[in-house]
Amino acid sequence: MWWRRTLSRSCRCCLGCGRSGAKGIWSLHTRPVCSAPALPAGRITALQALDVWKRHFEEKGVTEPEHSSQYIIAHLLGAKTIESVDQQSLTQFLSKEKTEQVWQLCTRRLSRMPVQYVIEEWDFRDLTLKLRPPVFIPRPETEELVELVLTDLQRHPGAAETRRQTCLEVGCGSGAVSLSLLKSLPQLEAFALDRSQDAVDLSRENALRLGLQDRLKVYHMDVIKDAERMLGLFSSISALVSNPPYLFSEDMATLEPEILRFEDHAALDGGEDGLNVIRQILALAPDFLSDRGRVYLEVDPRHPPLVRRWTEENVEGLRYAETRHDASGRPRFCILQKEESHKDPDQD
Amino acid sequence: MAYRRLVSLLSRRREWAPHFQTPQRVHGKTVCKHPTHHPARNQKLLHTGRPVMTMMKLLSVDELFAKRSLQEHLKKVEKEYNECLQAVTYSATDDECSEDELKEKRTKVSLLAPLIQSIRELDKKQQEITETEMLLKDMLTIQVLELLIPEEEADMSDLVLEVTAGVGGQEAMLFTAEMFDMYEGFARYHGWSFDVLEHMSSDLGGLRHASASISGSQSYKKMKFEAGVHRVQRVPKTEKQGRTHTSTMTVAVLPQPTEISFTINPKDLRIETTRASGAGGQHVNTTDSAVRIVHLPTGLVAECQQERSQLKNREKAMKSLRAKLYSMKLEEETSKRYNQRKVQIGTKGRSEKIRTYNYAQDRITDHRISMTVHDVRSFLLGEDLLNEMNSSLQEFSNQEALMELLEEGNQAEP
Repeated sequence: MWWRRTLSRSCRCCLGCGRSGAKGIWSLHTRPVCSAPALPAGRITALQALDVWKRHFEEKGVTEPEHSSQYIIAHLLGAKTIESVDQQSLTQFLSKEKTEQVWQLCTRRLSRMPVQYVIEEWDFRDLTLKLRPPVFIPRPETEELVELVLTDLQRHPGAAETRRQTCLEVGCGSGAVSLSLLKSLPQLEAFALDRSQDAVDLSRENALRLGLQDRLKVYHMDVIKDAERMLGLFSSISALVSNPPYLFSEDMATLEPEILRFEDHAALDGGEDGLNVIRQILALAPDFLSDRGRVYLEVDPRHPPLVRRWTEENVEGLRYAETRHDASGRPRFCILQKEESHKDPDQD
Repeated sequence: MAYRRLVSLLSRRREWAPHFQTPQRVHGKTVCKHPTHHPARNQKLLHTGRPVMTMMKLLSVDELFAKRSLQEHLKKVEKEYNECLQAVTYSATDDECSEDELKEKRTKVSLLAPLIQSIRELDKKQQEITETEMLLKDMLTIQVLELLIPEEEADMSDLVLEVTAGVGGQEAMLFTAEMFDMYEGFARYHGWSFDVLEHMSSDLGGLRHASASISGSQSYKKMKFEAGVHRVQRVPKTEKQGRTHTSTMTVAVLPQPTEISFTINPKDLRIETTRASGAGGQHVNTTDSAVRIVHLPTGLVAECQQERSQLKNREKAMKSLRAKLYSMKLEEETSKRYNQRKVQIGTKGRSEKIRTYNYAQDRITDHRISMTVHDVRSFLLGEDLLNEMNSSLQEFSNQEALMELLEEGNQAEP
């Protein structure tokens, strides 16, 4: 991966340009991507380190300079936020080792690597997830997507006692959505798929760390290329959830470096109108879902009316139920419902 | 403590009762029935075993013991025992008694010893029972009084605690941090949960403002007495000339309503996040998950940036907002009622200096009930000392409430 090589060069270079490594990994022609402040000669406290790096991030135009240094240093002090670090730990001198760690991680941030990748974790609802580039970092809006699905699944626990509730997630990334649902619904069984092997691996890893691996099956599949295989695998699903790539291709260029350089573009680019993957999901949905099963999609704010029209014109058996807004008041979620089956009622 | 003694007393009594039925094993064991002066009540509290098999004109144990002749005989025996014991103990120095006499006395001592021991145990137990009875009576009296006092609507709820640094700059902020820690200790002491909602610290380790959601049994009921202005008098750490400064901090205690009792219309809320600008969603990656909620009709604001998850921040901000709104509603309703009282809870209390922490004299004085305790360091742990003061405040408040109730009753009478 191109980004890995850039990382290692910049890191080691910054930590000790003077050292000609015994391993001879770096060459003299390597230009540092970043220019970090030198490691302090004497000892410093966490508070001082926060200040040094905040100013440095500001100088180098790194976004959210204060938050960045706070989250990274808090993480190294064993806390999630700087507010939860006790006064003593903040004012004590950091050990040499700890100082080096601070410098190492903050230097990564200099290359505009998102904080979530720098500390390799982040919170999503009540979970803490392991995160690694290029697997897509869950956004706050997606926390609300989970809320929508939960509300419905909790209200209708399933027709028959014998039939368990199941959900299918298309494009699971780090596993955030599926794992959140599993955590909140002990009776749920989840299937998740992603076209990226990295995402599949990370989802499985997070499932294991959270003890939810027994109820989650992750597949390395592409909803467009592997449609036929999928049709054979999934049926009678209670809820189909997805945060599919929904950006318009033309918007990709305007993305900030944090996203462009480090996140998988395939997880973002939805085609010319951002609906390529969405259309495919909707087309297949009626075959996956049980009667009255629902589709929950996170989309671009411009999409809901387009999704409604397209579904009405192209997907029999799927009815557009409602549009929901996110906390910022933007239309963000489309909910669709499988129409009552007109087929033979024995066929279920 | 006495209650526990009562329980152990009760359990031991059940062991005694069977012994009473087998007279041959009575020797060496104390047999005692409960004092007769309150038979009816004691039958419920102090259970005795089954009565012995009836024989004609057999006296009960109580009747026997009540006999004067028996009491006198016991006294005689005791006297005899003491005399013999004395003689035997000091026989070495005294040549008054002969060998045979001494031997006789020794034998008597060993024969009487079990009886004497039992008598003494009996006396002791009698005393214990009397004490316990009195304690029970006190407890029940208190219970009656407490049940008389009308309970506040919010007494059963949890609370949101808010601390704010007042006058005194950095020193005030340091004091605020210590007070916040004290209340965390207090929560731990009572087994309540303490969930930080907001925490704005200053550079030098002080606290500008913080709030926490506290929940547990009687949490609001106890914590409400902490609301008001707390004052500290000491030489600040930053003070070079050793002068004493006075700084203040304010504690606000907001009851937390349950979902059912108090609902907020989502349409009345404006939720502000950093995602607001731009397209949000997949377009943006940010670590700033702070949430600010504005209640449009009242203008009340709550914010939270304690968590990395935006949803969690929103939940905490909502908790804070609910408590503020509920508190406002309650104040409107109860401000008339509490106007007369010394131990204020509510708007009046918020600007009132309720307590002073004086380091030089190592004392903490609560001005509402003029109570002083010592050992500021221990007090700030939020354990026994604070609990004592808190209990006293509660008692005082109860008394005032009771007086008010009785006065109302008096006025109502024709």
